[in-house]
Amino acid sequence: MNTANERKASPAPQQVLLAEDLQKSYGARPALRGLSFSLHAGRILGFLGPNGAGKTTAIRILTTILEPDAGHFMVDGLSSDRPVELRRRIGVLPESLGFPKNMTGLEFVTYFGRLYGQPTALARAKAAAMIEAVGLQQRGRSLIGTYSRGMRQRLGIARALVNDPAVVFLDEPTLGLDPQGQQELLKLVRWIARERNAGVVLCSHQLADVESVCDDVVILNTGTVVAQGPVADVIGSADQQAVRVQVAPQSVAAAQQALQGLPGVTRVASAGGSSGWLRVELDAAVAGNGQPAHQHVLEGLMRASIPVLGFQTGGSRLQDVFLQITQGSIE
Amino acid sequence: MSRPAQDLQGAGAPTWWIVFTKELHELWIGGRALTLLLIYTLLLGIQTYVLASNSELSLIPPNEMVYETLKGAIAVGIFISLIIGADMVSGERERATLEGLLLTPTSRLQIVLGKFFAAATPWPAALAIAIPYMTVLAQGDAVLRPAILWGALIGTVLAPAFTALGMLVSYWCNTNKTSLFISLGVYILMLLPAQLPGRAQTGAAGSFLQKANPMASHAHYLSKVLVNNRTFEEFWGWLVAPALFAGVIFLLLVVYAGPGLRLEAGRAFAAQGRRVAALVAGLLALIAAPLAVLQAQTTPDGAPVVQAPALDVGIDLATRTLKTTDHVLFNTVVTNNSAEHTGPLILAMNIINLNAKGDVVDPEDWSPQRTQYIEAGLAAGESATLGWRVNAILDGNFMVYLVLIPSPNSPEATSHPVSSPGVHLTVTPFTRLNPGGVLPFAIGGPLLVLLGIWLVYRRRQRGIDTGGS
Repeated sequence: MNTANERKASPAPQQVLLAEDLQKSYGARPALRGLSFSLHAGRILGFLGPNGAGKTTAIRILTTILEPDAGHFMVDGLSSDRPVELRRRIGVLPESLGFPKNMTGLEFVTYFGRLYGQPTALARAKAAAMIEAVGLQQRGRSLIGTYSRGMRQRLGIARALVNDPAVVFLDEPTLGLDPQGQQELLKLVRWIARERNAGVVLCSHQLADVESVCDDVVILNTGTVVAQGPVADVIGSADQQAVRVQVAPQSVAAAQQALQGLPGVTRVASAGGSSGWLRVELDAAVAGNGQPAHQHVLEGLMRASIPVLGFQTGGSRLQDVFLQITQGSIE
Repeated sequence: MSRPAQDLQGAGAPTWWIVFTKELHELWIGGRALTLLLIYTLLLGIQTYVLASNSELSLIPPNEMVYETLKGAIAVGIFISLIIGADMVSGERERATLEGLLLTPTSRLQIVLGKFFAAATPWPAALAIAIPYMTVLAQGDAVLRPAILWGALIGTVLAPAFTALGMLVSYWCNTNKTSLFISLGVYILMLLPAQLPGRAQTGAAGSFLQKANPMASHAHYLSKVLVNNRTFEEFWGWLVAPALFAGVIFLLLVVYAGPGLRLEAGRAFAAQGRRVAALVAGLLALIAAPLAVLQAQTTPDGAPVVQAPALDVGIDLATRTLKTTDHVLFNTVVTNNSAEHTGPLILAMNIINLNAKGDVVDPEDWSPQRTQYIEAGLAAGESATLGWRVNAILDGNFMVYLVLIPSPNSPEATSHPVSSPGVHLTVTPFTRLNPGGVLPFAIGGPLLVLLGIWLVYRRRQRGIDTGGS
């Protein structure tokens, strides 16, 4: 078992989480079919997948709430066979964590510190430090019932850090937050990894968030890992055969029609909701024939008299890769 | 900011204590327990004032009023314990606070124990609140002391047992609505036997229901001991069901539910095995034990004899002057003076108003023991002593006497009742319980609890920032 200080002092990033062939079924329905991945200290792992992909099951197994049917995992050198000790090394912000409304933020974090075996004085001191670290020092003595959603999420993170965990699991931490709140929370996630040197598993449907903060990514679909590795590598694997183009929202349908008629274009899909971004997938022959792919697409749009508002070479967005891999299981 | 992990595992308090203090805070500072106790205090105050001020109810002797108050206090105390217990696990699930607790490196059993101890705390407060009310209703009667003693003993077994029952139900439910619904259903089921018609309560099945049901059996025991001056030795069998009920429920909570606490309701069936067997065995014991005690106490031995020969009924009291609401206790001795064994014998009490123009006496109102039975009969030369209580309900001159009836052994047979000497009771007018004297307690109790709530609220407000988000 290693402390944050020791992890920080290590010359090479240390592996803090290793999952090997985790499997879980609910009756006859398999929820997880052989999940394997690893995470190193100081790195942020995006854990993605459409609804029902097995993310929550995986997180609950890794946080010892559920037992796997098969497979094994280790946290900071501790085997999953020792769940009580393992819980000392993880911090978790569940997706829908409830809070007692009649406690103050400080009381809440102190309570959890004591549950981790800390003497009361130490628990209070650590709680105050954590409350300050997540930016709640002005409201630490207020009742949680008066907190906003963003404040509660930050309080949940303070609670997750109170035991100095080697791995922190954050399940949809930005859900329901306004853009500013989301950015502040992502900053906090980076701080956990970079300053506290913990490994962070970030579960989110906000793929732009994952792309902006995560170092690595695991994409699950129907209980199976369909892609994993550094974010850049996963995006890069799809880049060579796709470009992104933005047209006026009212021209999206016409652009799709024009592009789908081009030779070598295999698929055109919306890539940004109502913003007019389209993802254009090309077959290998066009993408690799020496002519820049974007030129091929741009010419097609110009011929159809559709103004181009924006253009990006390559797939370049995690969302595109995600949609491609999971076959549009989510928007 | 980081600290060595070893420091975090230092000499902290035991988990059950940490959970207990937190739950205590939620329960009392959060206001749930205080609100329930305020309602309870209001009910007690109203009941006490009605008992004291109603011209008919106030004729009830002090010990019966104390008994009624204690019975109500235990029933409401049990109810409060049950509904607080019913929220303990399912409420955490519903509020999504259980997952956070389960993610800590703590023993599930200790979490359950901490919650249980906290949920059981309203009972001592409920008993303490009931004591002043019982004191004022006792009017100096010696019944107060045994009432507090037996109330504390029985309530302290039953109220936590119902807390544990509520927690067990809660353990199996994902929502509070379901948990509360089932818990209240169980509570009402246990109250139902007392609502059965009189004959249904005294038959074999009715008696069993009364005795096996911890709610009915403890109330019966208290009524016998507090109202009828009977002894523990005579009626201990009625405490078997409450004790067994509590034992089985505590066992289930500690052995079964505690270690199996999890995020979703219930537990994995694979882990149940022996614990389910323990549950079934416990429930069977719960049903069988009171039945065994009942059988032991009610099965007659000896064959019935057709006619009882020379019988004699003696009374150890001849005259007594007392005031209305007082009571008189006396013993009768039934002796079989013949050389034969008698059949079953019945001894019935009657009370006659000696004033021809006076009110007709309804002995049901005057004594809880209209009739007593010597089911085994008496052997040659054998005697049996039976205790009686008569409450002086009306003022005037009365004659109390008993009639001994040898039980006829067939529909065609009859018997010759034998009368006892009479007890002449001279009852002086009633000194009414002063409703004005009760009023301060009836009003003061709820006001004191309200004051307590206000003080707790104020103290809490001082400890927190009250600004909004």
